[in-house]
Amino acid sequence: MTSARTWIVIAAALLAALLVPHVLPPGLSDWATRLSTLVLVAVSWNMMANAGLISLGHSGFWGLGAYTAALLANAVHMPFWFSVVPAMLLGAAFGVFLAYITGRLRGLFFAISTLAMSEALRVVALMVPKLTGGAEGLFVFDQIRPGRVTMTSFALCLAVATVAISYFLSKSRYQYALRAMRDSESAVQMLGVNPARFRIGVTALSGAIASCAGVISAWYTGYLDPGAAFDLKITISSQIAPLFGGLYTVAGPVIGSIAILTLSELTRLQFGYTAGVGLLVYGFILVFGVLFMPTGIVGLSHRWIGLFTRGRKLAVTRP
Amino acid sequence: MASSMASLLLQILVDALLLGGVYTLMAVGLSLSFGVTRIINFAHGDVVMYGSYAAFFAFSGLNIDPLLSLPAVAILGAVGGYLLFKFSIDRILEDVSINQVLLTFGLGLILQNVAVILWTGDERSTTPFYAFQSWFLSDDVVVANGRLIAFGLAAAFMALLLAWLRWSELGRATRAVSQNRAAASLMGINVRAIYGLSFALSSAFGAATGAIMSFLLPITPFMGFPILVKAFAIIILGGLDSILGTVIGAFFLAIAETAIAYLVPQGIGWAEGVAFFLLVLMLIVRPAGILGTVGRDA
Repeated sequence: MTSARTWIVIAAALLAALLVPHVLPPGLSDWATRLSTLVLVAVSWNMMANAGLISLGHSGFWGLGAYTAALLANAVHMPFWFSVVPAMLLGAAFGVFLAYITGRLRGLFFAISTLAMSEALRVVALMVPKLTGGAEGLFVFDQIRPGRVTMTSFALCLAVATVAISYFLSKSRYQYALRAMRDSESAVQMLGVNPARFRIGVTALSGAIASCAGVISAWYTGYLDPGAAFDLKITISSQIAPLFGGLYTVAGPVIGSIAILTLSELTRLQFGYTAGVGLLVYGFILVFGVLFMPTGIVGLSHRWIGLFTRGRKLAVTRP
Repeated sequence: MASSMASLLLQILVDALLLGGVYTLMAVGLSLSFGVTRIINFAHGDVVMYGSYAAFFAFSGLNIDPLLSLPAVAILGAVGGYLLFKFSIDRILEDVSINQVLLTFGLGLILQNVAVILWTGDERSTTPFYAFQSWFLSDDVVVANGRLIAFGLAAAFMALLLAWLRWSELGRATRAVSQNRAAASLMGINVRAIYGLSFALSSAFGAATGAIMSFLLPITPFMGFPILVKAFAIIILGGLDSILGTVIGAFFLAIAETAIAYLVPQGIGWAEGVAFFLLVLMLIVRPAGILGTVGRDA
């Protein structure tokens, strides 16, 4: 199923991720790192959405990953590249826990329970200052923090790997089961697929990926506190990027991430650091996205391409 | 020692009772609009926040007591809620739930950040004379007048709402739509109009809650989100579509929070998390809530 071409593209992208940061100016390198973390959470959010699970708790995974990396760095001086492993395991475990305790909860109920769980984690992080430093926060052991170039390469590689995973998933036979779960889990069950297993698989994978983003941010900024690690903004941007780019598609979350990050840079140039403007723009994107372009940028571009290539039908999934 | 324990318990009970009234008011709007339209309004907390700001500006600018401006604030809330419904929510009534969640979430973000831009994050509050008064129930049990007034108003509003739902023509129609929209439509009820009405009423309750909160809590653009999550917890505890369930859920949460705040070391910090823990626990044990009928698939 996977052609040699796919592997060549992935290898080229990884090579670019390793080499390009050496020539990027600091501003762009910073942008690329932030883009990578956004791509990670956006792809991960889209994976859950693809199976009909609306997550409002992605900041929970992010925070878990960030604290895992920071605490292990301080306790046993675990290097940045290895801290991804325990963080992903914990993120996956939290995902499994989430899938397990929400059982057959659907739609709204799942969304609200994910929101509650990530907020609960924030309160816990705030209330156990012996471990997390509480509201005062926590510095990551500075001597083992990698340099900017290494960090950007690392982040870009993880982003490439994540997009590759979501591509392979979209080409695999599991995709059909997941997409069918989005419409009706009971119908899927009647066809002989066990939705519970898929649900646990998706939340575990999605959780692992999202906690990677937290790891990157902890190492990159070198500091975290419960408010920043479990910030609702993380959840908001992880859902806006796929919606803006194109829900349920592989390219959507990536295009959406680039688009909203560019947009927020532009609003920053225009309005400076005026509080609230960035989130206001996000709010408008959500509302107008849902009302006027539910298929996102990918859907729109398909429609435009469709105007020129009559006869060849391009499939557009309407959410 | 025994008497101090008894008065501590009495104080917890009094505080929980008074808090439960405000919590009921906070959640009933959300429960009402969900019960009728089956859409959870993630912007509800921000409607409460705007109610608080309206009461604040009436108080600081025009010197009107929040209790006097409350009716006007509620009417403004109703108009605002109806407009929100008409121009956005009305268009996604039949959509999949992901669109409904994202849309109302986005509306909340817009409302919140317009407030941040207009009024900054500074804390404000209305300061009517009764906000600072309190009296002793017994030797060391304190009752704050502001909270007592809030409780009285909450009880009065709930009585009005229940009476309206039970005895008025429109109230009956609202209950009919909530129970079975297809059958209600066959009986000649304009279902869309009832949806709009329920959103207007829901926002009126939200704004009224805000006016009352204006002398209980600091007013900031960010006050909406914690209120929203608490309201979620309350209606999930009580049952999403049951008004009586909402009352029970509100008092349940109020008792749990107050008890933890008083009895656990560093309890005030932990109390902030009680709503989340109860919410998740209830969703696992009984997603329909104590009195609700909505199943797991909504």
